[in-house]
Amino acid sequence: MNIENKSNIILPLLVLALFLLFPVFYGDGYLLRIMITSLIIGILGMGFDFTGGFINIVNFGYAAFMGIGAYSSGIIATRFGISPWLTVFAAVAVSGLVGFLLGLLTLRLRGIFAACMAWFLALVAHSLAINWVGLTRGSSGLIVPSLLRTPSNVPFYYILIGLGFFIYVVLSLLINSQYGTAFSVIGQDLEASHASGVNSTKYKIINFTISCAVAGLVGWFYAHYFRILTPDVTHTRQTVEILAIAYIGGRGSLWGSVISALIVFPLLEYLRPVPELRLIVYGFMLILVMVYYPGGMASLLKFVYSSAKNKVLSQ
Amino acid sequence: MEFLINLLTIGVLRGSSYILMALGLGLIFGVMNIPNFAHGELYMIGAYLAYIGYTTLSLPPVLTIIFAAAGTFVVGGILEIVLFRPLRKRSLPGRWIMNCFLLTLGISIILQNTAQYIFGYRYLGISSFWPGTTSILGTITVSNDRLIGFAISALAVLIFWYFLTKTKTGRAIQAVSEDEIGAELVGVNLNFIFTLTFALGAGLAGIAGSSLLAINAAHPMMGLNPLFKSWFVIILIGMGNVGPIFIGGVIVGILETLSYAYFGAGWQNAVSLAVIIIILIVAPQGIFGKKGVQSIWEK
Repeated sequence: MNIENKSNIILPLLVLALFLLFPVFYGDGYLLRIMITSLIIGILGMGFDFTGGFINIVNFGYAAFMGIGAYSSGIIATRFGISPWLTVFAAVAVSGLVGFLLGLLTLRLRGIFAACMAWFLALVAHSLAINWVGLTRGSSGLIVPSLLRTPSNVPFYYILIGLGFFIYVVLSLLINSQYGTAFSVIGQDLEASHASGVNSTKYKIINFTISCAVAGLVGWFYAHYFRILTPDVTHTRQTVEILAIAYIGGRGSLWGSVISALIVFPLLEYLRPVPELRLIVYGFMLILVMVYYPGGMASLLKFVYSSAKNKVLSQ
Repeated sequence: MEFLINLLTIGVLRGSSYILMALGLGLIFGVMNIPNFAHGELYMIGAYLAYIGYTTLSLPPVLTIIFAAAGTFVVGGILEIVLFRPLRKRSLPGRWIMNCFLLTLGISIILQNTAQYIFGYRYLGISSFWPGTTSILGTITVSNDRLIGFAISALAVLIFWYFLTKTKTGRAIQAVSEDEIGAELVGVNLNFIFTLTFALGAGLAGIAGSSLLAINAAHPMMGLNPLFKSWFVIILIGMGNVGPIFIGGVIVGILETLSYAYFGAGWQNAVSLAVIIIILIVAPQGIFGKKGVQSIWEK
């Protein structure tokens, strides 16, 4: 029991230390940029998993929530000349608000309708981003001020690590609180949750709003790191990528998404010139995980870890 | 008045393919509880098969459509046997719908991108199955393809309706949608019914995709709009309602025509979303929602 508790704290800190040391060994270059893109997807996967893996609602417009955050922050920063460090609040608030309203509208209904409506919303966000040229500059892209006046990727990397760690800690604390218990009850068996008197709609809306706000937060980083926003950030293709990463990582694990993003994303970089093949690989992995290994990488790693620990303890 | 009649006519003509799509989507959801997000890709397969049948194999138009429908029927059957059957054995009952949703998503991604890989990002169309135009009621002129496409959809729906209500197998499908365990107890072979249902739904999508090939050319992303619109129909009329699908399809067809005329192509989706939001606020059961049908509310 004691070892269990200690390893629960030591392991994440160890991983964090490894992340922090990465640029020391690899410096600023191609590898670090890949690392940043993978982490963006991984952290988004974590936010997605908070809804998908716990209350079992698939937010099939997740990239749109990231896009909404990114565009809100970008538009406010460019129009009013406000520092991007302050627009982070706008990004989180707008994405969270849109998520809250969508949740209010759909989470009383059967889960598939929330997925459907999130998808509709994403389609609309995408066509708005293309057609509302006065606001978003359409397909030619919105140029956004950078967070830092430096050509180096290293500070951005550290900001992202901080952001990711912050999101992980907040989401884990929520999962381990009474809210988390309610979320799991709702996700596992709705009828039982009704019988035990859980106001499931309320908890689902809370969960959904937080998850969308996380997407907005990552969107803020995305906007001011890449410094250009095109309607493609809200595309369903992006949602599919995040969703696949989250489920391959293992639903209900949070950290699984980051692991799978760091493994799968760099490998698929080789297929960058042929985007179709990339998505075909995602599709196959999604189907395989769905049908044959629903626990994903997280349950595989847990299995390896616990059998290794048992071996050590029994010696 | 004339304007209204024109609108209605165009709505009916445009809506007919959404009716076919929504019928298959609703059937698969009603009987198997699968929200099929790969339905648009089955439509796409229908269109590609029709293109191959008409140009490469030089089949006559009607045979082309039958060829495409049969092809998608087989694809649907194979998908069910290879993917949904193993999932049915493994999935927890409470997670079935979401697992299926993700599975169909995987299928959709693979089909879409395989089509793009094989055929490239170009439109493979034909000028027309049936050249020429016809004027209806003396006020509007429509292409023969649209008109005959409508007739084919109507015929397919009628045949499907007859099959579902009058034949033994069709009644078995209805029985399964009402009570799976009860149907199994009276000797219905569930596996067979599930495979048949999915294949039938796919075949209907194949007819929709192939009969309008001259108007909607085959293209990897062509399934998106029909999928979106057929979900729209399902939400509009309320889940589990089959009869009103015809009215729902026409309404969506009219809405599409109207928003296209007044707001332009880019804003169509926004108009649709606004209408759906209003429906969900005002009549979340769907406008034809009635007691006894599977509601969209959480039980």
